[in-house]
Amino acid sequence: MFFHIVLERNMQLHPRHFGRNLREHLISKLMKDVEGTCSGRHGFVVAITGVESIGKGLIRDGTGFVTFPVKYQCVVFRPFKGEILEAVVTMVNKMGFFAEAGPVQIFVSNHLIPDDMEFQSGDMPNYTTSDGSVKIQKDSEVRLKIIGTRVDATEIFCIGTIKDDFLGVINDPTTI
Amino acid sequence: MSVEPFNRLVKLTARAFYDDITTKGDNQPKTGRSDNRGIAVVVLDALTRRQWVREEDLAKDLKLHSKQLRRTLRFFEEEKLVTRDHRKETAKGAKIYSAAVAATTEGPPFGKEGEEKIKLHTHSYCCLDYAQIYDVVRYRIHRMKKKLKDELESKNTVQEYICPNCGRRYNALDALRLVSLEDEYFHCENCNGELVAESDKLAAQEAGDGDDNARRRRREKLKDMLQKMEVQLKPLMEQLNRVKDLSAPEFGSLQAWEARASAAGRAVNGDSSSNDPSKSSQGYGGTPMPFLGDTKVEVAFAGAEGKEVDVKSETGNASLKVLPPWMIKQGMNLTKEQRGEVKQESKMDGSSAAAPSGFSDDKKSNVEDDKKSLQDEYVKAYYAALLKKQQELEEAAKQQESSNTAVSDGLSGMSNRQVGMKSKREDDEGDDDVDWEEAPVAGNTSESFKVNDLNVEAAASPEDEDDIDWEEG
Repeated sequence: MFFHIVLERNMQLHPRHFGRNLREHLISKLMKDVEGTCSGRHGFVVAITGVESIGKGLIRDGTGFVTFPVKYQCVVFRPFKGEILEAVVTMVNKMGFFAEAGPVQIFVSNHLIPDDMEFQSGDMPNYTTSDGSVKIQKDSEVRLKIIGTRVDATEIFCIGTIKDDFLGVINDPTTI
Repeated sequence: MSVEPFNRLVKLTARAFYDDITTKGDNQPKTGRSDNRGIAVVVLDALTRRQWVREEDLAKDLKLHSKQLRRTLRFFEEEKLVTRDHRKETAKGAKIYSAAVAATTEGPPFGKEGEEKIKLHTHSYCCLDYAQIYDVVRYRIHRMKKKLKDELESKNTVQEYICPNCGRRYNALDALRLVSLEDEYFHCENCNGELVAESDKLAAQEAGDGDDNARRRRREKLKDMLQKMEVQLKPLMEQLNRVKDLSAPEFGSLQAWEARASAAGRAVNGDSSSNDPSKSSQGYGGTPMPFLGDTKVEVAFAGAEGKEVDVKSETGNASLKVLPPWMIKQGMNLTKEQRGEVKQESKMDGSSAAAPSGFSDDKKSNVEDDKKSLQDEYVKAYYAALLKKQQELEEAAKQQESSNTAVSDGLSGMSNRQVGMKSKREDDEGDDDVDWEEAPVAGNTSESFKVNDLNVEAAASPEDEDDIDWEEG
């Protein structure tokens, strides 16, 4: 699920950036530092949408670096248990398949793939129904439901299922 | 249409789901004395025999402490089985309700209205919400089934993996770390052995038999539970299916119900309880009025009585009829718009008793003809006593109304009525109450339920109401 929230961060800026572009430097550094990171609490920071305020800088003893407390608005993405996501399959193996929904990795084990889909090994490992009408392979797009998340301090990993109504392949790359 | 299948549904539900509900807090020790299991069933059963009921009265009837009852009712309110209404009211306000109850239960007519306490008490009323109960029970069963089935198919369980070499366990959340580049299996971080899914037979054997047995036992238990549920809830589900296509009885809000019930009560008690309408009419408006309006109401009763019997026979013949009786009557009026008009007027005159009977002869059966003449005689006698002036005013109003009737169709029973009211309002002030009483009844669409639920006298009540307007307007 996506959220638009306000976060705060202390930015350290090298003295060489001091000048009339200080603010720009600060913001570009903030973007470089923060976008794409993951915190267990808020999820993945997708994009910074604005800077609310930049506090007074504090010169660090000894280094000359200046610390600015920056409040910024950003879009974060945090997967939740029970959430339905659309994801791209990245790897298929005998144990199931891995998929990505943006920054999140999701594993769907073969027990959570409908029983009528069989694993086919080979050059392009895939899961296929007996009549061959539905096929899950690399780059397939699937709709899945998250049934478990592991949230560490800096990463989030999910396991999903496609064994439910309206879940499964939504776009087969071979048919395009 | 009948409330009976729904009552059965409620009873089954109570026994299926609320049999061992205790309303005591969990922190309180359960002694034999305070064990009140089964109380929920008793309360629900009692509610199936009532409509809106004041909680104090219910407590008294069930010989329960009102606190205990309230706790149970609050529980049911949370369970969405019961709707409750609280309002501040004077002793007099409470009487409106009592009058309504007297009407529905055919109890003795309510006593004198004398003592008027200004003191406000908050009274709580409760009533079963049949439509919602149906939904709630269905949803509950659906959730139960889904949960068990999900567990059975281990739909949402996290897959576990075991290393057959070192016995180390992993689950699907570790998958990212376990995947190897060489082949398509997971490998143990420790010994690089191939992992097997825990539910596989191989893994089960290697990881120890006990675990597998536990799993199997659990599966069997779930399956057993599902089967038991199917069997034990079968009557309930059958009842749900039976009720599916019936329209749930609807009592409406407390006020609407009261208005209807008290109106019904008047129909039952006829003229004898003529203090009833005045009493209930005073309830909310609070303006005690001269008995000007009341006299007219009595005229209406005379008319109503004749037709009441008529309706009774009709409903007796065709019990399947869904249309509320007042609709039928409306239709009759419409078919003879012109004559009806004339008839009404002549009746109002009170001078020619023969004329109306002659008119009705055309349209109605002989039986009804008799009643008509009876009624007309009554009207005549009554109107002889009335003042000329009032009579004239009424006639003017009547003309206005009947002309309206001629134009409008059956749907506009309400508007007819209101037109009548307005014209009446001009000549006396005592119509406030009538207006108030009528509005909810007229607006009520679920009249048909009441027709079957209460006895036929109650069914006649809307008819009665109609009649009041018709004649008095």
